[in-house]
Amino acid sequence: MKSTSYSEKTLDHFRNPRNVGVLEGDDVAIGRVGNPVCGDLMEMYIRVRDDRIEDIKFQTFGCGSAVATSSMITELVKGMTLDEALKVTRSDVADALDGLPPIKMHCSNLAADALHDAINNWRQGIKLEPMDPLAVPAKACGPQAPAAPAATEAAPAVAEPAGADDYLGKGYYRSRPDPAHLQDLRLLVVDAGPDSLAYALEAAGQAARVVFLSPAAYLPGDADLKARAKQSDLKILLRSEPLALGGEGVLEKIRVHDLDEDEEYELFVDAVVFLTKS
Amino acid sequence: MKTEHPARDRPLVYLDYQAAKPVDPRVVEAMLPYFTERFANPASLHTMGDEAAEAMESARRTIAAFINARPEEIIFTSGATESNNLALVGYALRNRRKGNHIVISEMEHISIHNLAKYLEKNGFEVSRIPLDLYGRVDPAKVRARIRDDTILVSVGMASNEIGTLQPIREIGELLQGKGIAFHTDAVAAEGLLPLDVERDHLDLMSLSSNDIYGPRGLGVLYVRKGIPLTPLMIGGGQENGLRSGSENVAAIVGMSRAAEIMREEREQEVARLRTLRDRLIEGVLATVPKSFLNGHPSARLANNAHFRFTGIEGESLVLLLRDEGIQAATGSACSSKTLEPSHTLIACGLLHEEAHGSLELTLGRFTRPEDIEAALEAVPRAVRRLRQLSPLYKEEVPS
Repeated sequence: MKSTSYSEKTLDHFRNPRNVGVLEGDDVAIGRVGNPVCGDLMEMYIRVRDDRIEDIKFQTFGCGSAVATSSMITELVKGMTLDEALKVTRSDVADALDGLPPIKMHCSNLAADALHDAINNWRQGIKLEPMDPLAVPAKACGPQAPAAPAATEAAPAVAEPAGADDYLGKGYYRSRPDPAHLQDLRLLVVDAGPDSLAYALEAAGQAARVVFLSPAAYLPGDADLKARAKQSDLKILLRSEPLALGGEGVLEKIRVHDLDEDEEYELFVDAVVFLTKS
Repeated sequence: MKTEHPARDRPLVYLDYQAAKPVDPRVVEAMLPYFTERFANPASLHTMGDEAAEAMESARRTIAAFINARPEEIIFTSGATESNNLALVGYALRNRRKGNHIVISEMEHISIHNLAKYLEKNGFEVSRIPLDLYGRVDPAKVRARIRDDTILVSVGMASNEIGTLQPIREIGELLQGKGIAFHTDAVAAEGLLPLDVERDHLDLMSLSSNDIYGPRGLGVLYVRKGIPLTPLMIGGGQENGLRSGSENVAAIVGMSRAAEIMREEREQEVARLRTLRDRLIEGVLATVPKSFLNGHPSARLANNAHFRFTGIEGESLVLLLRDEGIQAATGSACSSKTLEPSHTLIACGLLHEEAHGSLELTLGRFTRPEDIEAALEAVPRAVRRLRQLSPLYKEEVPS
């Protein structure tokens, strides 16, 4: 079956999603699951009064079924007590939509998980901030997104990737490369200390594309630097560490470790900068 | 499951020529007699068999001329996938004693990638040439992967997804005299670039009939004289013993007519497509904030426009465009059977989340200026709507 063989009801909820938006206030809790890396991210906002879901809104980045399941679950649980809402399962959502293509069943999982996350956060008094597009973890495609570490957590130290000595002068740099060498290249800057983000921003005007990779959960540096990073075309990979360099003779790719999911993957790059203190 | 087409009262705008092309009516006309009157088997000894054989051999000459090859170097297959199978598996199995190593690029069509995996499972070693930011193969990186036991290099003529053109001639030149066979899957480029197996020093080339507006279910493998292959389809020994099965004469006549038309009209048509395509690219990039062109800005197929949009997902975009009557494609994982994003976009160095937000629009012979205008209205509107739903896109607030 095609991934897009959706029921009429699913298409209707996709075309006309109900309860889109955000809620604010002391009686609001936020739930969040998914990851843009995997192609879906959901945020559920619930307003709770007398242990009931008085109002509910959502925002979703994802495929047709991700949007439709988010919309459907908001309709299903509006007005329910929190206990009733916790009993709503993925198959309730899928059934209410007259079924989903088998390959898209995980989407209904996500919608139920986002709602349950919001309820649990309400009960535990956890206040999530609305999504910051820059604080996106690197590559986590599990059904349950990990809880974001506290902002105050110190960034773990990062080690140089394996093969650093072999690729020195062949795409790997321990000091700032000559900007003339970066034209048309894909550059990856490792967060190796306080100067790294500033350098990555500078390099964004020199290389064709710059990725900033950091083990931290949030961008390092002062507010000004963060603001500049948000306005730049810099690509940011958080909660990630460089594992190993690869390539035939010259640097062609880097193996990256996603700390949240404990997964590894390869990223194609032409140059890697790891500013060692000197 | 039933699917509704809310836009069916309007003409649909087809911008997915990379996936399938209509058969040109002139081709259909040429084919028709071969279904009913001239239906005989070209292997038969009677008069009608001779007529069918003559029609087939005449078509073979036309198609050979289309790629500057000799008629006996044209092998008819059931399509480009079978041509790729015969080229890679047929060559690797037959030439194993010469070596065990095969080189492909990261840009290849999925059929080549899966054939490479199949050969790896069967004891061959495969090296993959990485791409630059724009999806191009650097000939120096091909050279760096050549070993004493390399028997075959396969690099597609252009990307079937992002349209980037490859330096086939340069790669062909550097492989000259090394005893390594050079194969290209030319399907994406077939109706858009002039094909010449001599100029490019090709030993094997896969072609599809549909990609020059001929019927589906027919392909060609060009096999240079003296290049030995093991057949994969065993039977009555048709096509020089390389591809058994009674030939599909009607389709072969159709592909030949399609090649004739292409030969006459290609240059003019490419210029027309490029103008339309450039209007589409410039229009989308100018009206949609945080939109980017995938692939190479100039070294790309004249009919290809491939975008990515921050903060939205491709399958949703294709579904919304469908409601507006626009037939489009995406490299998003959610649209694929494996839930993996486009291999080509990842090989260009894009992060997964970027590859998810891609949109592929491909033009063709029957694309009209009003189709481009319709897309230029619908795409920005659909992107805006999805961004309103998305937690990942915040309107820029000047600080």
